[in-house]
Amino acid sequence: MRHYEIVFLVHPNQSEQVPAMIERYKSLIEGAEGTIHRLEDWGRRQLAYPINNAHKAHYVLMNVEATQDVMDELSNMFRYNDAVLRNMVIRCNEAITEDSPIKAAESREERKPRREERSEQKQERTADASEEAAEE
Amino acid sequence: MARFFRRRKFCRFTAEGVKQIDYKDLDTLKGYITETGKIVPSRITGTKARYQRQLATAIKRARYLALLPYTDSHDV
Repeated sequence: MRHYEIVFLVHPNQSEQVPAMIERYKSLIEGAEGTIHRLEDWGRRQLAYPINNAHKAHYVLMNVEATQDVMDELSNMFRYNDAVLRNMVIRCNEAITEDSPIKAAESREERKPRREERSEQKQERTADASEEAAEE
Repeated sequence: MARFFRRRKFCRFTAEGVKQIDYKDLDTLKGYITETGKIVPSRITGTKARYQRQLATAIKRARYLALLPYTDSHDV
């Protein structure tokens, strides 16, 4: 059993299939007594350059522990699935479980407006609360 | 006569004690490519050889996944 990091890009028109694909790969890996340490769905992202005339793609990142047979099977599945624009498998030394920089950047952007909303609510409630928020 | 003192180059990765440069860390990688998308040589950036090698691998991986461009003249 070895640690691998898998990234694959799905054609944006086939974006709806992604949850089903993840489920399929998950059952394949876990069915062979492998483990999934990290699973991130980055959603549809703008590509730095067009691939097969697609300008956007759905990114999925997986960090798994699996046997060679499973990985062969998986890369075969990628190859014969037309929806997968690109895939990359990297061997890792250890299990990585913390959020990737891309996911972290995404959640930071999502959280930012929410924090502003919260501070506004505080200001509405009392003037003291806004001072506390400023101190924080 | 070198009248202007250039700011001393230093290796950011050595200073921060980075274990492995991540190809997904685009904000960092973007600091080491030119506007045309080329990898900036370590003689310009001052990156230590060990990290320059890691950096090159990371940028090439990011390029393959279309996270970074190979060039600025991709037909969009």
